[in-house]
Amino acid sequence: MRLTSDVVEMNDAFEAIESFYDRGWSDGLPVVPPTAEAVDRFLQAGGLAPGQVLGTEPVKGGVATAEKVAINSIMAGCRPEYMPAIAAAVEAITADEFNLHAITASTMGASILVLISGPAVEELGVNSGISAFGPGHRANATIGRALRLIVINLFGSRSGEIDKATLGHPGKYTWCFGESSDRSPWAPIHADMGLPADGSAVTLFSALSGIQVGEHAANTPEGILDSFVNAFWATAPGMSEVLIVLCPEHVAFFKDAGWPKSRVGEYLYEVTKRPASQWSNPTPRSHKAAGDALAGALESPESAIVTVAGADGGGWSAVIPTWSNGHRSKVVTRPITSKQ
Amino acid sequence: MTNQETLRVLDPTFVPAVASPAMADRPRDLNGKTVGLLANDKLNAPELLDAIHEVLTDSYALAPAHRVNKGNASNPADPDLLDKIAGDVDVVITANGD
Repeated sequence: MRLTSDVVEMNDAFEAIESFYDRGWSDGLPVVPPTAEAVDRFLQAGGLAPGQVLGTEPVKGGVATAEKVAINSIMAGCRPEYMPAIAAAVEAITADEFNLHAITASTMGASILVLISGPAVEELGVNSGISAFGPGHRANATIGRALRLIVINLFGSRSGEIDKATLGHPGKYTWCFGESSDRSPWAPIHADMGLPADGSAVTLFSALSGIQVGEHAANTPEGILDSFVNAFWATAPGMSEVLIVLCPEHVAFFKDAGWPKSRVGEYLYEVTKRPASQWSNPTPRSHKAAGDALAGALESPESAIVTVAGADGGGWSAVIPTWSNGHRSKVVTRPITSKQ
Repeated sequence: MTNQETLRVLDPTFVPAVASPAMADRPRDLNGKTVGLLANDKLNAPELLDAIHEVLTDSYALAPAHRVNKGNASNPADPDLLDKIAGDVDVVITANGD
């Protein structure tokens, strides 16, 4: 394949790693030196031509060609077979409604969270079980990292340049996990987003740091969701999109009770309501109610986007708010399709 | 060292091929000019812009200010809005009042 990227000659991999640091081409961790031979393998695995445009960032105009996406994926430590998922994720983050420039520039410090669903979870070895957000699993660690390197190297979101986060959070290094189809009693998340249930997809969130919700005594869906109320205190009223990750121990009670997924949002919409004046973190845009008028955490029951992941043992679920409370960056789902 | 021992790696970056945008002509002085104050919808942006306008009035006999709020801090201003402002003012000041 004919590649167009400039070639840099190095004496060895250690020199390449140091040089990539010096040039600002790293996320702060060592990278795998990207060679033309490796790029060929990645493009072949994705069925992609080097110059094929996978996405263009709408504000600054950064272009993500398959060649550049492959280079950054190699640097992140990916395997070639991850390319279709990464290509789908690049398409998702460059969609207008994801508002990538704003989320990577904002002081709010959002990460780019990749949720993989469908058969690709098992095919690519994406962890959806024990320590689903944690280290030790190559697909999770490197797919999320590839997205971060892409926004740094293709879209200029370097710390202190475009990236002006006040704190950010560790998910900005990498955050990718799988939906647990084995433990979920419901259709996969991509079916909620209008894609065929039997396919695979990536769903991208502009994710703030997650809030872990522990509940070890309740044995009903209502009791479990009541324990989420305090987690929502740390968010804001009127969120239009928020990710709810139910762990297997918790979701088993929803399955036993025969709850449809939609009822989770309906219940949370009601149970998080409180007098507007009690919210400690209002924003002018979402905080339309005032005084004693009731304001819930969710703009509507559909604002709760629900998935299942985590270990079988331990009643720890999570609430993951999104940038701008979901008002100005929308969740985007794209199918994983092999071009071969 | 032989060629086989040289590691050839690829540049991972995209550099946009855009020409430097030209600057609009600046007026030589602001006397009698209409200054547009374009707020970005952040808290305190209008206050910051008004304060700047007040400082300018110490030095220039300005026409009344033309205040506009683009209504969304996280996206570029609507091109139609910018075209309208361009027709209404002589110069514009924009600020992030976060």
